[in-house]
Amino acid sequence: MSEIDPCEWCEQALQPYLDRELNGEDEAKVKSHLASCSWCEKRYKFEEDLRILVRQSVVEPMAPELKAKLANLRLEL
Amino acid sequence: MQETYARAFRSWQSYTPGTNLRAWLLRILTNLNIDRGRRAQRTPDSQPLEEGDYFLYNRLETATGETEEERVVERLSQDNVAEALSAVPHDFRDVVVLVDIGEFSYADAAQILDIPIGTVMSRLHRGRRILKKELAELAVDSQ
Repeated sequence: MSEIDPCEWCEQALQPYLDRELNGEDEAKVKSHLASCSWCEKRYKFEEDLRILVRQSVVEPMAPELKAKLANLRLEL
Repeated sequence: MQETYARAFRSWQSYTPGTNLRAWLLRILTNLNIDRGRRAQRTPDSQPLEEGDYFLYNRLETATGETEEERVVERLSQDNVAEALSAVPHDFRDVVVLVDIGEFSYADAAQILDIPIGTVMSRLHRGRRILKKELAELAVDSQ
């Protein structure tokens, strides 16, 4: 049986890795691949950033009064 | 759909009382549904989505030419994401919201939605692909 391309394998494992759903062995395999492959590492960082952006995009917007209050506090500092 | 969630949360054994997680998730889902009503759905469930998981990154990188300094994710706005998410059909979006936003495990999402864990995984996979496809349309194709 031919070995699957490591980057292709990483691409398939990346979402469950981010979900913390991989078993210990596969998780270690992803980690070590990301440490040695800047191509996949860049894409991993993007997927991670995208998760954060998705989370932020659905958070309730801050009330304008609170925003103004915080802005004033920052000026005073 | 709110009803479904309310029911699901009531029967969810591991829900921690005292957190406002439930209210928060319901608010997100309600807001997304409001948005969805304003916009015609362009992605039918049956549309093939054969591209890989790196698809959106590759598209964004190719479209504008990546420089080392800038993070590719900065090409996307929160508005883009909110709009793209509201265009994901609700069966898929529910799973994406629970796992990506609520940070629930596959097993917890399965319990909340009362579906098998395999269905959680396949809907999550498809939901994320649809989300990325929508994001590519909003951030790349519209330019």
